Amino acid sequence: MVATTNIPIVSRDRFAKARALHVILAVILLMSAAVSLETGATEVRLSTLVCKAVAGTPFSQIETVVMLDIRLPRLMMGILVGAALAVSGAAMQGLFRNPLADPGIVGVGAGAGLGAIIAIVLGGFLPAALQSLAGRHLIPIAAFLGGWGSTLLLYRVSTRQGRTSVATMLLAGIALGALAGALSGVLVYIADDQQLRDLTFWGLGSLAGASWTKVTAAAPLIALSVGLAFMLGRGLNGLALGEATAGHIGLNVERLKSLTILSVAGATGAAVAVSGGIGFIGIVVPHLLRLASGPDHRTLLINAALLGASLLVLADVISRTIIAPAELPIGIVTAVMGAPVFLWILLKRRGMVDL
Amino acid sequence: MTLIADNIRVTYGARTALNGVDLRAEAGELTAIVGPNGSGKSTILGAITATLPYTGRVTLNGCDIQQQKPWQLAAQRAVLPQASQLAFPFTVIEVVRLGLQAGSGATDDSIPMRALSRVGLSHYAERTFQELSGGEAQRVMLARVLAQIWKPVEDGQTRWLLLDEPVSSLDIAHQLQVMELAREFAEQGGGVIAVMHDLNLTAMYAQKIAVLSRGECLASGSPREVLTDGVLSCAYGCTLRVSAPVPANVPYILPHAASA
Repeated sequence: MVATTNIPIVSRDRFAKARALHVILAVILLMSAAVSLETGATEVRLSTLVCKAVAGTPFSQIETVVMLDIRLPRLMMGILVGAALAVSGAAMQGLFRNPLADPGIVGVGAGAGLGAIIAIVLGGFLPAALQSLAGRHLIPIAAFLGGWGSTLLLYRVSTRQGRTSVATMLLAGIALGALAGALSGVLVYIADDQQLRDLTFWGLGSLAGASWTKVTAAAPLIALSVGLAFMLGRGLNGLALGEATAGHIGLNVERLKSLTILSVAGATGAAVAVSGGIGFIGIVVPHLLRLASGPDHRTLLINAALLGASLLVLADVISRTIIAPAELPIGIVTAVMGAPVFLWILLKRRGMVDL
Repeated sequence: MTLIADNIRVTYGARTALNGVDLRAEAGELTAIVGPNGSGKSTILGAITATLPYTGRVTLNGCDIQQQKPWQLAAQRAVLPQASQLAFPFTVIEVVRLGLQAGSGATDDSIPMRALSRVGLSHYAERTFQELSGGEAQRVMLARVLAQIWKPVEDGQTRWLLLDEPVSSLDIAHQLQVMELAREFAEQGGGVIAVMHDLNLTAMYAQKIAVLSRGECLASGSPREVLTDGVLSCAYGCTLRVSAPVPANVPYILPHAASA
């Protein structure tokens, strides 16, 4: 089967564009980080510190504390959580072959939250040896297990013979979320005062509790999960053809699905463990990127990490400044940005695809 | 080089879809599988592509397909499903490139575009797949399948095209175009197995035909052996008359009555 005519090779336009976006989005992330370090309740400014550093003037103690112990860990957590949520969103949408799949919406976030709550309330009952072994990683690990269990359950329930029903997925997500909420309620009921304080910020979804301890607890799991997702790009592209055809073109579909679920559960679990339920990043970011440079997961997942991080860092700046000196929970900011996009996708799809 | 299915049984719950079917396809030939709705045509294709769980044995170029990894199978055979599905707005050329996953032709960047021009759709390369009509989408998927196993014979190994109703949503000109493509692939040493509904098209292009009925193989052989009044009427449960018009000199089937 040899064609003799000279056919031009089509330029890999969208792929090249998506690659260029890596650079642009990395620059945007750096700028967002600068804005985040510049703004805050106190009069400490990144720009002032840079001037001082250039002039060789030593920093005051308050400047050091605000920058290194408050703003920097918060920035790092924003980057980690934003990247984790956006990448899990993109990976989960690839797995379910549907742009409406988002860990926050379909109950995976709730499952991860339940895991975290179990760790907080019942962690004290674990054998001391196990407690010291798990240490500060106990809550992220529990959240990961909760997220993994709920993703697995969700996939089993909503997929029949290789086809995933979106209606079943969304409804199962509601049921899973309700169940996790009820179990969490029971645990809240038996929690003591200190545990209740710890639990309060789950509901808010916030980066306010950022600390180096939390950053170092979440970073390894998020880095592993996001790195794993980056390696699944080719596979998720093939999965867009459906499970059977993905197998026919040579993909090990079962392994691909398991790895995707592991990655989603790890990233979502760790993000939820340190920041509570922050919604819609996982839906808005991949959607915008698909509009900009197409659905190729090889570039989409990397761009999602960069844009998700920037968006969450900026949302955090808004949440810290809009009603300063008080703080608006960041979940409200992301929901205001994200819910209309979700509705928009839903309305646009209604004509084309039956749910 | 052959594709042999031996005593294949497939059950869906309590229902037996295939009850010990044998199928043998040779390299260099187009083997058609025909039969009424629900006779097990797509099911046997599901078994020989390792998509469905089955009992029995399927060997592709002499090796049991159960012993091979998905990527090993993908390098030897490509599968065109009956209905194409695609999530996310990929462009036509991006869809065809997905066929290169198998790695067999990945080194040659021009293959996807050449495959697309084989099905007459190179001018649609940058369109979004979802904008296409049903027939165009089917042809794009055929281009993806061709891109996967571009050369009918590679390193002395026969490659196989497994097609599930490849012409079902096509107009008559494109039906002929696709069947010519399949024939050409076979003439160059490749193997083709196609599930077909159109008996006259089958008579024109197939070298071997297997007639399935109720999960069993009713007859198999050359078109002249298999396409007879008796076999077809028995398989389809209606009266069909087979004749051979002079110019084409291949069996030609005319529907006669709705009952046998």
